[in-house]
Amino acid sequence: MTFALHTSLFFRRKLLETLRQPVWIVTGLSTPLLYLALFEPLLRSVAGGAGLPPGQVLDVFVPGILALMAFGAGMGAGWVVIWEMDSGVIERLRVTPASRLALLLGTVLRDVVMFAVPAVVVIAIAIGFGFNAHWGGLALMLLLLAALTASCSAASSALGIGLKQIGSLAAVVTGVQLPLTLLSGILLPLSLGPGWLQVLGHFNPMYYAVEAARDLTAGTITTATVGIGFGVTAAAAALALWWGTRSYHKAMV
Amino acid sequence: MPVTGSPPDAVRTSGLRKAFRVKNEAVEAISGIDLTVAAGQIFGFLGPNGAGKTTTLRILTTLLPADAGEAFVAGADVRRSPQQVRRRIGYVGQLGGADASATGRENLLLQGRLYGMGAAETARRTDELIETFDLGAFAGRTARSYSGGQRRRLEVALGIMHRPPVLFLDEPTTGLDPQNRANLWDQLRELRGTGTTIFLTTHYLDEADQLSDRLAIIDHGRVIAEGTPAGLKQRYSGDTIDITPSLPPAGLPALEHDLASDPFVRSARTSGGSIRLSVTDATRAMSAVFSLLAGRGIGIRAASFAQPSLDDVFLRETGRSLRDAKEKVPA
Repeated sequence: MTFALHTSLFFRRKLLETLRQPVWIVTGLSTPLLYLALFEPLLRSVAGGAGLPPGQVLDVFVPGILALMAFGAGMGAGWVVIWEMDSGVIERLRVTPASRLALLLGTVLRDVVMFAVPAVVVIAIAIGFGFNAHWGGLALMLLLLAALTASCSAASSALGIGLKQIGSLAAVVTGVQLPLTLLSGILLPLSLGPGWLQVLGHFNPMYYAVEAARDLTAGTITTATVGIGFGVTAAAAALALWWGTRSYHKAMV
Repeated sequence: MPVTGSPPDAVRTSGLRKAFRVKNEAVEAISGIDLTVAAGQIFGFLGPNGAGKTTTLRILTTLLPADAGEAFVAGADVRRSPQQVRRRIGYVGQLGGADASATGRENLLLQGRLYGMGAAETARRTDELIETFDLGAFAGRTARSYSGGQRRRLEVALGIMHRPPVLFLDEPTTGLDPQNRANLWDQLRELRGTGTTIFLTTHYLDEADQLSDRLAIIDHGRVIAEGTPAGLKQRYSGDTIDITPSLPPAGLPALEHDLASDPFVRSARTSGGSIRLSVTDATRAMSAVFSLLAGRGIGIRAASFAQPSLDDVFLRETGRSLRDAKEKVPA
Protein backbone atom coordinates (compact mmCIF):
# COMPACT_ATOMS: atom_id res chain seq x y z
CA MET A 1 0.00 0.00 0.00
CA THR A 2 1.36 3.37 -1.06
CA PHE A 3 0.53 5.15 2.18
CA ALA A 4 2.39 2.60 4.32
CA LEU A 5 5.35 2.65 1.92
CA HIS A 6 5.57 6.44 1.97
CA THR A 7 5.28 6.52 5.75
CA SER A 8 8.12 4.03 6.13
CA LEU A 9 10.25 5.93 3.59
CA PHE A 10 9.77 9.20 5.46
CA PHE A 11 10.35 7.45 8.80
CA ARG A 12 13.64 6.05 7.53
CA ARG A 13 14.67 9.46 6.22
CA LYS A 14 14.03 11.06 9.61
CA LEU A 15 15.72 8.26 11.54
CA LEU A 16 18.86 8.63 9.39
CA GLU A 17 18.80 12.37 9.99
CA THR A 18 18.80 11.75 13.75
CA LEU A 19 21.47 9.07 13.65
CA ARG A 20 23.72 11.54 11.83
CA GLN A 21 23.44 13.94 14.78
CA PRO A 22 24.40 11.73 17.72
CA VAL A 23 24.53 14.73 20.05
CA TRP A 24 20.71 14.63 20.25
CA ILE A 25 20.78 10.95 21.14
CA VAL A 26 23.19 11.71 23.96
CA THR A 27 21.16 14.59 25.41
CA GLY A 28 17.95 12.58 24.99
CA LEU A 29 19.39 10.13 27.47
CA SER A 30 21.53 12.32 29.70
CA THR A 31 18.75 14.80 30.57
CA PRO A 32 16.42 12.25 32.23
CA LEU A 33 19.35 10.57 33.95
CA LEU A 34 20.45 13.91 35.36
CA TYR A 35 16.92 14.49 36.65
CA LEU A 36 17.07 11.11 38.38
CA ALA A 37 20.50 11.75 39.83
CA LEU A 38 20.07 15.38 40.87
CA PHE A 39 16.35 15.88 41.50
CA GLU A 40 15.33 12.58 43.05
CA PRO A 41 17.45 13.21 46.21
CA LEU A 42 15.57 16.50 46.69
CA LEU A 43 12.24 14.71 46.42
CA ARG A 44 13.39 12.09 48.87
CA SER A 45 13.98 14.76 51.49
CA VAL A 46 10.51 16.31 51.10
CA ALA A 47 8.67 12.98 50.85
CA GLY A 48 5.82 12.34 53.24
CA GLY A 49 3.06 14.55 51.85
CA ALA A 50 -0.08 13.33 50.06
CA GLY A 51 0.78 11.38 46.89
CA LEU A 52 4.47 11.17 47.75
CA PRO A 53 4.90 8.40 50.32
CA PRO A 54 8.42 8.01 51.68
CA GLY A 55 10.20 4.98 50.28
CA GLN A 56 8.24 5.16 47.03
CA VAL A 57 9.60 8.40 45.66
CA LEU A 58 10.95 6.76 42.51
CA ASP A 59 7.58 5.11 41.79
CA VAL A 60 6.01 8.57 41.62
CA PHE A 61 8.91 10.36 40.03
CA VAL A 62 9.86 7.97 37.18
CA PRO A 63 6.48 8.21 35.35
CA GLY A 64 6.80 11.99 35.57
CA ILE A 65 10.28 11.95 34.10
CA LEU A 66 9.09 9.66 31.31
CA ALA A 67 6.25 12.07 30.51
CA LEU A 68 8.78 14.90 30.38
CA MET A 69 10.87 12.83 27.96
CA ALA A 70 7.79 12.27 25.79
CA PHE A 71 7.14 16.01 25.70
CA GLY A 72 10.77 16.81 24.90
CA ALA A 73 11.07 14.17 22.18
CA GLY A 74 7.99 15.54 20.43
CA MET A 75 8.43 19.29 20.72
CA GLY A 76 11.66 19.41 18.69
CA ALA A 77 9.88 18.61 15.41
CA GLY A 78 8.87 22.20 14.62
CA TRP A 79 12.44 23.48 14.41
CA VAL A 80 13.38 21.02 11.71
CA VAL A 81 10.18 21.70 9.77
CA ILE A 82 10.99 25.42 9.60
CA TRP A 83 14.46 24.65 8.39
CA GLU A 84 13.04 22.25 5.79
CA MET A 85 10.59 24.87 4.57
CA ASP A 86 13.38 27.44 4.22
CA SER A 87 15.50 25.05 2.19
CA GLY A 88 12.60 24.07 -0.08
CA VAL A 89 12.45 20.42 1.01
CA ILE A 90 8.81 20.60 2.07
CA GLU A 91 7.86 22.36 -1.16
CA ARG A 92 9.59 19.69 -3.24
CA LEU A 93 7.91 16.88 -1.31
CA ARG A 94 4.53 18.62 -1.61
CA VAL A 95 4.84 18.50 -5.40
CA THR A 96 5.31 14.71 -5.29
CA PRO A 97 2.22 12.49 -4.97
CA ALA A 98 3.25 11.61 -1.39
CA SER A 99 0.52 11.73 1.24
CA ARG A 100 0.83 14.68 3.62
CA LEU A 101 -0.14 12.49 6.54
CA ALA A 102 2.70 10.11 5.62
CA LEU A 103 5.07 13.07 5.55
CA LEU A 104 3.94 14.11 9.04
CA LEU A 105 4.00 10.55 10.37
CA GLY A 106 7.60 10.05 9.29
CA THR A 107 8.64 12.66 11.84
CA VAL A 108 6.06 11.57 14.44
CA LEU A 109 7.19 7.94 14.38
CA ARG A 110 10.84 8.91 14.56
CA ASP A 111 10.05 11.03 17.62
CA VAL A 112 8.18 8.12 19.20
CA VAL A 113 11.26 5.92 18.74
CA MET A 114 13.46 8.70 20.11
CA PHE A 115 11.22 8.72 23.18
CA ALA A 116 10.83 4.97 23.61
CA VAL A 117 14.46 3.85 23.35
CA PRO A 118 15.89 6.15 26.04
CA ALA A 119 12.71 5.56 28.10
CA VAL A 120 13.48 1.85 28.31
CA VAL A 121 17.05 2.63 29.33
CA VAL A 122 15.88 5.04 32.04
CA ILE A 123 13.39 2.47 33.35
CA ALA A 124 16.10 -0.19 33.50
CA ILE A 125 18.42 2.09 35.43
CA ALA A 126 15.63 3.24 37.77
CA ILE A 127 14.74 -0.37 38.57
CA GLY A 128 18.34 -0.85 39.69
CA PHE A 129 17.78 1.98 42.18
CA GLY A 130 14.59 0.59 43.64
CA PHE A 131 11.84 1.57 41.19
CA ASN A 132 8.99 -0.95 41.57
CA ALA A 133 7.17 -1.42 38.33
CA HIS A 134 4.32 -3.60 37.25
CA TRP A 135 5.31 -5.03 33.86
CA GLY A 136 1.90 -5.02 32.17
CA GLY A 137 1.23 -1.53 33.48
CA LEU A 138 4.64 -0.36 32.33
CA ALA A 139 3.99 -1.57 28.78
CA LEU A 140 0.64 0.22 28.70
CA MET A 141 2.26 3.33 30.11
CA LEU A 142 4.84 3.37 27.34
CA LEU A 143 2.01 3.10 24.82
CA LEU A 144 0.20 6.01 26.48
CA LEU A 145 3.32 8.17 26.52
CA ALA A 146 4.11 7.24 22.90
CA ALA A 147 0.71 8.75 22.05
CA LEU A 148 1.68 11.83 24.07
CA THR A 149 4.94 12.07 22.10
CA ALA A 150 2.96 11.80 18.85
CA SER A 151 0.62 14.63 19.95
CA CYS A 152 3.53 16.90 20.84
CA SER A 153 5.43 16.08 17.65
CA ALA A 154 2.47 16.70 15.34
CA ALA A 155 1.52 19.89 17.19
CA SER A 156 5.11 21.13 17.04
CA SER A 157 5.26 20.52 13.26
CA ALA A 158 1.97 22.35 12.82
CA LEU A 159 3.24 25.26 14.92
CA GLY A 160 6.49 25.42 12.97
CA ILE A 161 4.68 25.48 9.63
CA GLY A 162 2.25 28.10 10.87
CA LEU A 163 4.75 30.39 12.57
CA LYS A 164 7.47 30.06 9.89
CA GLN A 165 10.09 31.71 12.10
CA ILE A 166 12.41 29.89 14.52
CA GLY A 167 12.19 32.82 16.94
CA SER A 168 8.38 32.79 17.10
CA LEU A 169 8.33 29.03 17.56
CA ALA A 170 10.88 29.20 20.36
CA ALA A 171 8.80 31.86 22.12
CA VAL A 172 5.60 29.82 21.87
CA VAL A 173 7.17 26.51 22.89
CA THR A 174 9.05 27.88 25.88
CA GLY A 175 5.92 29.86 26.80
CA VAL A 176 3.71 26.77 26.99
CA GLN A 177 6.35 24.38 28.27
CA LEU A 178 6.40 25.60 31.85
CA PRO A 179 2.63 25.70 32.50
CA LEU A 180 2.09 22.44 30.64
CA THR A 181 4.73 20.51 32.53
CA LEU A 182 4.24 22.05 35.98
CA LEU A 183 0.43 21.79 35.80
CA SER A 184 0.63 18.13 34.89
CA GLY A 185 2.47 17.22 38.07
CA ILE A 186 5.47 15.90 36.23
CA LEU A 187 8.06 16.85 38.82
CA LEU A 188 5.81 16.81 41.88
CA PRO A 189 2.25 15.42 42.04
CA LEU A 190 -0.39 18.15 42.01
CA SER A 191 -2.04 16.47 44.97
CA LEU A 192 0.71 18.06 47.07
CA GLY A 193 -0.51 21.52 46.08
CA PRO A 194 -3.50 23.68 47.05
CA GLY A 195 -6.94 23.06 45.58
CA TRP A 196 -6.81 25.85 42.99
CA LEU A 197 -3.64 24.35 41.52
CA GLN A 198 -5.35 20.98 41.18
CA VAL A 199 -8.29 22.65 39.46
CA LEU A 200 -5.98 24.37 37.00
CA GLY A 201 -4.34 21.03 36.24
CA HIS A 202 -7.64 19.65 35.01
CA PHE A 203 -7.51 22.06 32.07
CA ASN A 204 -4.21 20.58 30.95
CA PRO A 205 -4.44 17.50 28.71
CA MET A 206 -0.99 16.35 29.83
CA TYR A 207 -2.19 16.16 33.42
CA TYR A 208 -4.44 13.20 32.61
CA ALA A 209 -1.63 11.34 30.85
CA VAL A 210 0.73 11.80 33.82
CA GLU A 211 -1.93 10.74 36.36
CA ALA A 212 -2.72 7.64 34.28
CA ALA A 213 0.99 6.87 33.90
CA ARG A 214 1.39 6.82 37.70
CA ASP A 215 -1.57 4.45 38.10
CA LEU A 216 -0.23 2.19 35.39
CA THR A 217 3.28 1.90 36.82
CA ALA A 218 1.71 1.04 40.17
CA GLY A 219 -0.11 -1.81 38.44
CA THR A 220 -3.62 -0.42 38.92
CA ILE A 221 -4.72 -0.73 35.33
CA THR A 222 -8.50 -0.72 35.45
CA THR A 223 -9.00 2.65 37.13
CA ALA A 224 -11.07 5.51 35.80
CA THR A 225 -7.92 7.65 35.83
CA VAL A 226 -6.29 5.27 33.33
CA GLY A 227 -9.36 5.25 31.11
CA ILE A 228 -9.57 9.05 31.11
CA GLY A 229 -5.81 9.32 30.50
CA PHE A 230 -6.02 7.14 27.42
CA GLY A 231 -9.14 8.90 26.19
CA VAL A 232 -7.75 12.41 26.55
CA THR A 233 -4.35 11.51 25.08
CA ALA A 234 -5.87 9.67 22.11
CA ALA A 235 -8.14 12.64 21.40
CA ALA A 236 -5.17 15.03 21.66
CA ALA A 237 -3.14 12.85 19.28
CA ALA A 238 -5.96 12.66 16.75
CA LEU A 239 -6.47 16.43 16.89
CA ALA A 240 -2.74 17.13 16.56
CA LEU A 241 -2.35 14.74 13.61
CA TRP A 242 -5.28 16.39 11.87
CA TRP A 243 -3.80 19.83 12.52
CA GLY A 244 -0.35 18.74 11.35
CA THR A 245 -1.65 17.16 8.15
CA ARG A 246 -3.72 20.23 7.38
CA SER A 247 -0.65 22.41 7.93
CA TYR A 248 1.42 20.30 5.52
CA HIS A 249 -1.31 20.75 2.91
CA LYS A 250 -0.74 24.50 3.00
CA ALA A 251 2.90 24.76 4.01
CA MET A 252 4.41 27.79 2.31
CA VAL A 253 7.40 29.95 3.08
CA MET B 1 -9.88 18.67 -22.63
CA PRO B 2 -10.39 18.56 -26.38
CA VAL B 3 -10.13 15.02 -27.72
CA THR B 4 -7.92 15.22 -30.77
CA GLY B 5 -5.05 13.28 -32.28
CA SER B 6 -2.39 15.79 -31.26
CA PRO B 7 -0.87 15.63 -27.78
CA PRO B 8 -2.43 18.02 -25.26
CA ASP B 9 -0.67 21.29 -24.55
CA ALA B 10 1.83 20.96 -21.74
CA VAL B 11 0.31 23.96 -19.98
CA ARG B 12 -2.90 25.82 -20.63
CA THR B 13 -4.33 28.48 -18.34
CA SER B 14 -7.09 30.97 -18.64
CA GLY B 15 -7.98 33.87 -16.39
CA LEU B 16 -5.73 32.73 -13.55
CA ARG B 17 -5.94 35.10 -10.58
CA LYS B 18 -4.50 35.11 -7.10
CA ALA B 19 -4.50 37.74 -4.38
CA PHE B 20 -2.61 37.75 -1.08
CA ARG B 21 -3.41 39.64 2.06
CA VAL B 22 -0.68 42.11 2.86
CA LYS B 23 -1.32 44.18 5.99
CA ASN B 24 -5.05 43.48 5.79
CA GLU B 25 -5.19 44.57 2.20
CA ALA B 26 -5.75 42.23 -0.71
CA VAL B 27 -2.94 42.62 -3.23
CA GLU B 28 -3.33 40.87 -6.55
CA ALA B 29 -0.20 38.88 -7.33
CA ILE B 30 -1.57 37.75 -10.68
CA SER B 31 -4.60 39.25 -12.40
CA GLY B 32 -5.76 37.05 -15.25
CA ILE B 33 -2.95 34.97 -16.71
CA ASP B 34 -3.67 33.24 -20.05
CA LEU B 35 -0.93 30.95 -21.27
CA THR B 36 -0.52 28.12 -23.73
CA VAL B 37 2.67 26.10 -23.81
CA ALA B 38 2.98 23.48 -26.54
CA ALA B 39 4.58 20.18 -25.61
CA GLY B 40 8.29 19.70 -26.25
CA GLN B 41 9.54 23.26 -26.00
CA ILE B 42 11.45 25.38 -23.55
CA PHE B 43 9.08 28.09 -22.39
CA GLY B 44 10.53 31.11 -20.65
CA PHE B 45 8.51 33.17 -18.18
CA LEU B 46 10.35 36.48 -17.94
CA GLY B 47 9.64 39.29 -15.54
CA PRO B 48 11.04 41.38 -12.70
CA ASN B 49 10.95 40.19 -9.09
CA GLY B 50 7.43 40.35 -7.71
CA ALA B 51 5.81 40.28 -11.15
CA GLY B 52 3.88 37.10 -10.31
CA LYS B 53 6.13 34.44 -11.84
CA THR B 54 6.50 32.32 -8.72
CA THR B 55 2.83 32.63 -7.84
CA THR B 56 1.87 31.36 -11.30
CA LEU B 57 4.35 28.51 -11.02
CA ARG B 58 3.06 27.52 -7.59
CA ILE B 59 -0.47 27.34 -8.93
CA LEU B 60 0.64 25.22 -11.89
CA THR B 61 2.53 22.84 -9.60
CA THR B 62 -0.46 22.38 -7.21
CA LEU B 63 1.28 24.15 -4.35
CA LEU B 64 -1.18 27.02 -4.23
CA PRO B 65 -4.88 27.19 -5.14
CA ALA B 66 -5.88 29.91 -7.58
CA ASP B 67 -8.66 32.34 -6.63
CA ALA B 68 -10.15 32.16 -10.12
CA GLY B 69 -9.49 30.82 -13.57
CA GLU B 70 -8.41 27.38 -14.67
CA ALA B 71 -5.19 25.60 -15.42
CA PHE B 72 -4.40 22.32 -17.14
CA VAL B 73 -0.95 20.82 -16.86
CA ALA B 74 0.06 17.76 -18.92
CA GLY B 75 -3.62 17.24 -19.66
CA ALA B 76 -4.83 17.23 -16.05
CA ASP B 77 -6.85 19.88 -14.23
CA VAL B 78 -4.74 21.44 -11.49
CA ARG B 79 -7.70 22.04 -9.21
CA ARG B 80 -9.73 18.88 -9.80
CA SER B 81 -6.97 16.30 -10.22
CA PRO B 82 -3.88 17.59 -8.41
CA GLN B 83 -2.58 14.05 -7.84
CA GLN B 84 -2.54 13.39 -11.60
CA VAL B 85 -0.72 16.65 -12.19
CA ARG B 86 1.86 15.78 -9.51
CA ARG B 87 2.63 12.45 -11.13
CA ARG B 88 3.24 14.11 -14.50
CA ILE B 89 5.42 17.04 -13.52
CA GLY B 90 8.83 17.68 -12.07
CA TYR B 91 9.57 20.78 -10.03
CA VAL B 92 12.78 22.56 -9.14
CA GLY B 93 11.86 25.37 -6.77
CA GLN B 94 13.63 28.61 -6.15
CA LEU B 95 14.68 27.45 -2.68
CA GLY B 96 16.24 24.30 -4.09
CA GLY B 97 14.72 21.47 -2.13
CA ALA B 98 17.63 19.08 -1.66
CA ASP B 99 17.59 17.55 1.80
CA ALA B 100 20.91 18.71 3.26
CA SER B 101 21.02 16.03 5.94
CA ALA B 102 20.74 13.20 3.40
CA THR B 103 23.31 12.18 0.82
CA GLY B 104 22.77 12.97 -2.84
CA ARG B 105 22.08 9.32 -3.52
CA GLU B 106 19.56 9.07 -0.66
CA ASN B 107 17.79 12.17 -1.95
CA LEU B 108 17.39 10.58 -5.38
CA LEU B 109 16.38 7.14 -4.08
CA LEU B 110 13.62 8.62 -1.90
CA GLN B 111 12.34 10.77 -4.74
CA GLY B 112 12.01 7.77 -7.07
CA ARG B 113 10.14 5.66 -4.53
CA LEU B 114 7.72 8.51 -3.79
CA TYR B 115 6.71 8.50 -7.46
CA GLY B 116 5.92 4.80 -7.27
CA MET B 117 9.05 3.52 -8.98
CA GLY B 118 10.23 0.10 -7.79
CA ALA B 119 13.42 -0.28 -5.74
CA ALA B 120 15.46 -1.76 -8.61
CA GLU B 121 14.24 0.76 -11.17
CA THR B 122 14.90 3.62 -8.74
CA ALA B 123 18.45 2.41 -8.14
CA ARG B 124 19.10 2.15 -11.90
CA ARG B 125 17.70 5.60 -12.56
CA THR B 126 19.69 7.05 -9.65
CA ASP B 127 22.95 5.72 -11.11
CA GLU B 128 21.97 7.11 -14.49
CA LEU B 129 21.30 10.60 -13.09
CA ILE B 130 24.46 10.57 -10.98
CA GLU B 131 26.32 9.88 -14.23
CA THR B 132 24.42 12.48 -16.31
CA PHE B 133 24.81 15.26 -13.78
CA ASP B 134 28.35 14.31 -12.83
CA LEU B 135 27.49 13.78 -9.16
CA GLY B 136 29.56 10.62 -8.74
CA ALA B 137 32.41 12.10 -6.73
CA PHE B 138 30.15 13.27 -3.89
CA ALA B 139 26.89 11.31 -4.21
CA GLY B 140 27.72 9.51 -0.96
CA ARG B 141 28.21 12.72 1.03
CA THR B 142 25.41 14.64 2.70
CA ALA B 143 24.16 17.49 0.50
CA ARG B 144 25.09 19.96 3.24
CA SER B 145 28.67 19.79 1.99
CA TYR B 146 27.83 20.54 -1.67
CA SER B 147 28.81 23.71 -3.49
CA GLY B 148 26.05 25.83 -5.04
CA GLY B 149 26.56 24.33 -8.48
CA GLN B 150 26.67 20.75 -7.18
CA ARG B 151 23.52 21.25 -5.18
CA ARG B 152 21.68 22.76 -8.14
CA ARG B 153 22.64 19.76 -10.30
CA LEU B 154 21.28 17.41 -7.66
CA GLU B 155 18.08 19.44 -7.50
CA VAL B 156 17.52 19.31 -11.25
CA ALA B 157 18.21 15.56 -11.13
CA LEU B 158 15.56 15.26 -8.39
CA GLY B 159 13.12 17.14 -10.61
CA ILE B 160 13.45 14.68 -13.49
CA MET B 161 13.88 11.47 -11.45
CA HIS B 162 10.56 10.03 -12.64
CA ARG B 163 10.98 11.25 -16.25
CA PRO B 164 8.10 13.74 -16.08
CA PRO B 165 6.74 15.05 -19.40
CA VAL B 166 6.72 18.59 -17.99
CA LEU B 167 9.47 20.12 -15.85
CA PHE B 168 9.02 23.41 -13.97
CA LEU B 169 12.02 25.41 -12.81
CA ASP B 170 11.79 28.58 -10.75
CA GLU B 171 14.77 30.90 -11.35
CA PRO B 172 17.05 27.91 -11.89
CA THR B 173 20.29 29.80 -12.55
CA THR B 174 20.03 32.48 -9.86
CA GLY B 175 23.22 32.42 -7.84
CA LEU B 176 25.13 30.19 -10.25
CA ASP B 177 28.48 31.20 -11.70
CA PRO B 178 28.72 31.56 -15.52
CA GLN B 179 30.26 28.12 -15.96
CA ASN B 180 27.53 26.29 -14.02
CA ARG B 181 24.92 28.44 -15.70
CA ALA B 182 26.10 27.44 -19.19
CA ASN B 183 26.19 23.78 -18.13
CA LEU B 184 22.63 23.93 -16.85
CA TRP B 185 21.45 25.52 -20.10
CA ASP B 186 23.05 22.66 -22.02
CA GLN B 187 21.41 20.09 -19.79
CA LEU B 188 18.00 21.70 -20.23
CA ARG B 189 18.44 21.73 -24.02
CA GLU B 190 19.35 18.03 -23.93
CA LEU B 191 16.29 17.39 -21.84
CA ARG B 192 14.13 19.15 -24.43
CA GLY B 193 15.75 16.85 -26.99
CA THR B 194 14.19 13.88 -25.18
CA GLY B 195 10.73 15.42 -25.53
CA THR B 196 10.40 17.03 -22.10
CA THR B 197 8.56 20.33 -21.93
CA ILE B 198 10.47 22.84 -19.82
CA PHE B 199 8.73 25.78 -18.17
CA LEU B 200 11.18 28.10 -16.48
CA THR B 201 10.91 31.49 -14.83
CA THR B 202 13.76 33.94 -15.02
CA HIS B 203 14.51 37.59 -14.56
CA TYR B 204 17.60 37.34 -16.76
CA LEU B 205 17.10 38.81 -20.23
CA ASP B 206 19.83 36.75 -21.86
CA GLU B 207 18.52 33.54 -20.32
CA ALA B 208 15.03 34.09 -21.66
CA ASP B 209 16.44 35.14 -25.01
CA GLN B 210 18.93 32.35 -25.60
CA LEU B 211 17.28 29.43 -23.88
CA SER B 212 13.57 29.67 -24.64
CA ASP B 213 11.77 28.60 -27.79
CA ARG B 214 8.87 30.78 -26.75
CA LEU B 215 8.44 33.18 -23.90
CA ALA B 216 5.93 35.29 -22.11
CA ILE B 217 6.85 38.54 -20.41
CA ILE B 218 4.97 39.23 -17.18
CA ASP B 219 4.69 42.45 -15.24
CA HIS B 220 2.41 43.42 -12.35
CA GLY B 221 0.58 40.09 -12.61
CA ARG B 222 -0.25 40.30 -16.31
CA VAL B 223 1.29 38.83 -19.43
CA ILE B 224 2.32 41.86 -21.48
CA ALA B 225 3.91 40.10 -24.45
CA GLU B 226 4.23 36.59 -25.77
CA GLY B 227 6.02 34.95 -28.69
CA THR B 228 9.38 33.65 -29.84
CA PRO B 229 12.36 35.73 -28.68
CA ALA B 230 13.18 36.74 -32.28
CA GLY B 231 9.56 37.49 -33.12
CA LEU B 232 9.06 39.63 -30.04
CA LYS B 233 12.18 41.64 -30.60
CA GLN B 234 11.20 42.16 -34.24
CA ARG B 235 7.60 43.03 -33.53
CA TYR B 236 8.17 45.35 -30.63
CA SER B 237 11.50 46.97 -31.22
CA GLY B 238 11.41 47.32 -34.97
CA ASP B 239 14.78 48.78 -35.78
CA THR B 240 17.22 50.36 -33.46
CA ILE B 241 20.03 52.76 -34.30
CA ASP B 242 22.97 53.71 -32.12
CA ILE B 243 24.61 57.06 -32.84
CA THR B 244 27.75 58.40 -31.19
CA PRO B 245 28.06 62.10 -32.10
CA SER B 246 31.28 64.02 -31.51
CA LEU B 247 29.75 66.17 -28.80
CA PRO B 248 30.60 66.70 -25.14
CA PRO B 249 28.11 64.84 -22.86
CA ALA B 250 26.43 68.13 -21.94
CA GLY B 251 25.25 68.59 -25.51
CA LEU B 252 23.59 65.18 -25.78
CA PRO B 253 20.18 65.78 -24.11
CA ALA B 254 19.31 68.64 -26.46
CA LEU B 255 20.29 66.55 -29.48
CA GLU B 256 18.34 63.56 -28.14
CA HIS B 257 15.28 65.78 -27.86
CA ASP B 258 15.63 67.04 -31.43
CA LEU B 259 16.16 63.54 -32.81
CA ALA B 260 13.10 62.24 -30.98
CA SER B 261 10.90 64.71 -32.85
CA ASP B 262 11.91 63.25 -36.20
CA PRO B 263 8.88 61.45 -37.75
CA PHE B 264 10.84 58.23 -38.24
CA VAL B 265 11.97 58.09 -34.61
CA ARG B 266 9.70 56.47 -32.03
CA SER B 267 11.86 57.00 -28.99
CA ALA B 268 15.34 58.10 -28.07
CA ARG B 269 17.45 57.59 -25.00
CA THR B 270 21.01 58.50 -24.10
CA SER B 271 23.38 56.13 -22.44
CA GLY B 272 27.10 56.67 -22.13
CA GLY B 273 28.18 58.91 -24.98
CA SER B 274 25.69 57.57 -27.50
CA ILE B 275 22.04 57.96 -28.32
CA ARG B 276 19.88 54.90 -28.97
CA LEU B 277 16.94 55.49 -31.30
CA SER B 278 14.01 53.18 -31.81
CA VAL B 279 12.82 53.87 -35.35
CA THR B 280 10.10 52.78 -37.74
CA ASP B 281 12.27 52.55 -40.83
CA ALA B 282 15.96 52.20 -40.20
CA THR B 283 17.30 53.20 -43.61
CA ARG B 284 15.26 56.36 -43.96
CA ALA B 285 15.75 57.26 -40.32
CA MET B 286 19.49 56.87 -40.68
CA SER B 287 19.65 59.30 -43.60
CA ALA B 288 17.36 61.76 -41.78
CA VAL B 289 19.65 61.57 -38.73
CA PHE B 290 22.74 62.08 -40.87
CA SER B 291 21.32 65.16 -42.60
CA LEU B 292 20.15 66.65 -39.26
CA LEU B 293 23.63 66.25 -37.80
CA ALA B 294 25.35 67.47 -41.01
CA GLY B 295 23.11 70.56 -41.05
CA ARG B 296 24.42 71.44 -37.56
CA GLY B 297 27.99 70.63 -38.32
CA ILE B 298 28.10 67.80 -35.75
CA GLY B 299 30.50 65.01 -36.64
CA ILE B 300 29.70 61.31 -36.13
CA ARG B 301 32.12 59.03 -34.30
CA ALA B 302 30.09 55.87 -34.77
CA ALA B 303 26.71 54.82 -36.12
CA SER B 304 25.28 51.33 -36.18
CA PHE B 305 22.11 49.33 -36.47
CA ALA B 306 21.77 47.85 -33.01
CA GLN B 307 20.38 44.42 -32.18
CA PRO B 308 17.14 44.94 -30.32
CA SER B 309 16.95 43.15 -26.95
CA LEU B 310 14.07 41.80 -24.88
CA ASP B 311 14.62 44.78 -22.63
CA ASP B 312 13.49 47.00 -25.51
CA VAL B 313 10.29 44.93 -25.60
CA PHE B 314 9.81 45.38 -21.87
CA LEU B 315 10.60 49.08 -22.13
CA ARG B 316 8.07 49.61 -24.90
CA GLU B 317 5.31 47.85 -22.96
CA THR B 318 5.92 49.22 -19.49
CA GLY B 319 7.96 52.38 -19.93
CA ARG B 320 10.53 50.87 -17.56
CA SER B 321 13.69 48.92 -18.13
CA LEU B 322 13.60 45.36 -16.81
CA ARG B 323 17.03 45.98 -15.34
CA ASP B 324 15.66 48.46 -12.83
CA ALA B 325 12.04 47.33 -12.49
CA LYS B 326 11.28 47.16 -8.79
CA GLU B 327 9.49 44.65 -6.66
CA LYS B 328 5.77 45.15 -6.23
CA VAL B 329 4.40 42.44 -3.94
CA PRO B 330 6.22 39.91 -1.81
CA ALA B 331 4.99 36.81 -3.60
